[in-house]
Amino acid sequence: MPEIPSKDDPRTTFRYPLRWRIMDALNNGLDRFWPARMSPYTGWALIMPALLLVGLLVLGLFEMAESSLHTLDRATFLPSEAYTLENYQTVIESATYGRVVTRSVFAAGLTVFFTLLLALPYAYIMVRTTSSVVRKTLLVVLFLPFFIGQVVRAYGLLIILGTTGVANNALGLVGIEPIRLLFNFPAVVFGLVQYMLPFAVLMLAPALTAIPRETETAASSLGANWLQSFRHVVIPMAKPGLIGAGLVVGTLALTDFAMPAMLGGGSQDFIANAIYDQFFRTADQGLGAALALLLVVLGSVIVGVVISIFGAGTLGMGGKK
Amino acid sequence: MTNQIAAQNSATQSPREVAVRASHVTMDFGGVLAVNDASFELEKGRFLTILGPSGSGKTTLLRMIAGFQKQTAGEITINGKPVDAAPPHRRSIGMVFQKLALFPHMTAAENVAFPLKMRRFNPRQIAGRVDQFLDLVKLGGYGNRRINELSGGQQQRVAIARALVFEPDLLLLDEPLAALDVKLREEMQLEFRRIQHELGVTTINVTHDQREALVVSDNIIVMDGGRIQQQAEPVELYRAPENPFVAGFLGLSSFVEGTATADGNMQVGDLVVQGEPADDFAAGTKVLAAIRAEQIRLAGTREALGNCDMKLEGRVSDTIFEGERQMYVVEVGALSGATFRVYHHDPDSFGLFHVGDTVALGWNRRDLKIFSPAA
Repeated sequence: MPEIPSKDDPRTTFRYPLRWRIMDALNNGLDRFWPARMSPYTGWALIMPALLLVGLLVLGLFEMAESSLHTLDRATFLPSEAYTLENYQTVIESATYGRVVTRSVFAAGLTVFFTLLLALPYAYIMVRTTSSVVRKTLLVVLFLPFFIGQVVRAYGLLIILGTTGVANNALGLVGIEPIRLLFNFPAVVFGLVQYMLPFAVLMLAPALTAIPRETETAASSLGANWLQSFRHVVIPMAKPGLIGAGLVVGTLALTDFAMPAMLGGGSQDFIANAIYDQFFRTADQGLGAALALLLVVLGSVIVGVVISIFGAGTLGMGGKK
Repeated sequence: MTNQIAAQNSATQSPREVAVRASHVTMDFGGVLAVNDASFELEKGRFLTILGPSGSGKTTLLRMIAGFQKQTAGEITINGKPVDAAPPHRRSIGMVFQKLALFPHMTAAENVAFPLKMRRFNPRQIAGRVDQFLDLVKLGGYGNRRINELSGGQQQRVAIARALVFEPDLLLLDEPLAALDVKLREEMQLEFRRIQHELGVTTINVTHDQREALVVSDNIIVMDGGRIQQQAEPVELYRAPENPFVAGFLGLSSFVEGTATADGNMQVGDLVVQGEPADDFAAGTKVLAAIRAEQIRLAGTREALGNCDMKLEGRVSDTIFEGERQMYVVEVGALSGATFRVYHHDPDSFGLFHVGDTVALGWNRRDLKIFSPAA
């Protein structure tokens, strides 16, 4: 057996591998730069960049709040000197903006409902299937639209749903005249649901994975058919996931821009489209800023109400309601 | 009181109605026979334990009875009716699961009420029945607790109440005690026995714990490799194992290989070892003998052994202190170095013998079982 020299043996002359020496030097440098007594603050130091990024956004909001208090002088195209609440009055008194806000909220509600309705069985089958082929196929199909992006997806829907598109061709085969499937409210909701489905499925899957299979088996041995088991066991136990997914889908839909712009064809504007128009078409920064702040408030209030009634679901990070 | 009456009933009322009958049940998982041609009968009101190591097919057999899996061949009847076409929720079977599978979003009482609601019991009777069964499992007053507010033992009790509250034809226990610590496990074993006697419900329990099987059951099936090795009452199963697997799985047995003699004994070298043949084998074939650790007597000399059919000398090769007893491993040169594991109860002085000591071993003929090994 070869003799292994002890670590302290003067005969042992060796150099550590280069990679070890580099790592050791880095560690030493780090120890000097960030000594051990600083370790309680390490977490804070690491989230600083993210906090700065969000802080910048808050700064922007304050600036926007400031500009929302000036009206646009149509003669000079400059914002007025004096502070005024006129922009907010315009928004509140305008029937058009009232319709836009109602439409956005209603569409977001419908989108949440239909998305969860479709996502729950999708996620359930993806989680519960015993076939890895089925699971992988469902995952790939789910992720494909992510690579395409919202605008291209909306454009694809324009082609499919157009008067000479696949959908109308199919209707033509059964003798139905081409109908207008685009540029109306259902088209926008359809596009939103299609866009949100992957988000909802990805948020529901962990919640469903957390339900032990044996719990459902137990329900069935206790006399529940699959529908009863789904209603009394799966849905209540998946509630945190449903709320989390609903909040994400709802806020994304409420603030969406591309779907109403492309599939609504200008006739189905959401709040985001109205804001865009004020900033980039009429160049009325003040009115645009007022609309933007109203959207922030509206979204926060809706989310706040939902959380206070149902709890934050999976967004609560396991904290109690 | 009720226990005694029920116990007497089970002893006197025979023959009884058959509650569960499995005939030639086979489960083929794509070429792997998880359960291979299993047939058994279980009388009404009896407590049967299916005992076996992991992978023996015992859980698969239980899941087929519950209806969670469909056997690839054979038939299962419950109370005389074939159940193969019935899904689990249409069978009258209560089951306690290994991980209990209680509903965390419900209280204890809501958990127990669940099967009553699903099975459309009269809503006005549900509350009373839930209370009655919570009392049965000694959880009266705990109905409003959430599941995560109950201890492990209390959760076990909720699971039992939930499985029994709708008075099923059959109670299935899928190793619900496996995860408990020893004290709680032994307490719950006696609870299962008490409740089963009180209600008289036919019960099938699955476990790998031989002690549990012997303690709780009226009847035991030992499974290995998908096959039923033996079905018998606990005492008979322990005393008269039908094959080497059962002899080795229950209790601690030592095995010796040899050749069958014409009169049904076994020859090792020049020595004829007297024993009891457990099955038929021809003279000259290879056989395997088994004897349990507590059936071997141990002493310093042959004389000190007293009356034994068979006496041998050996050398202690290991001693293991087990608390209430000492186990010795003894090597017997006359049996070509075969080792015997011997329990020695020695109230006065623990560790009477030491490694290297020469000791005398003795046993009676009826305690050494001789098997044909390829049975």
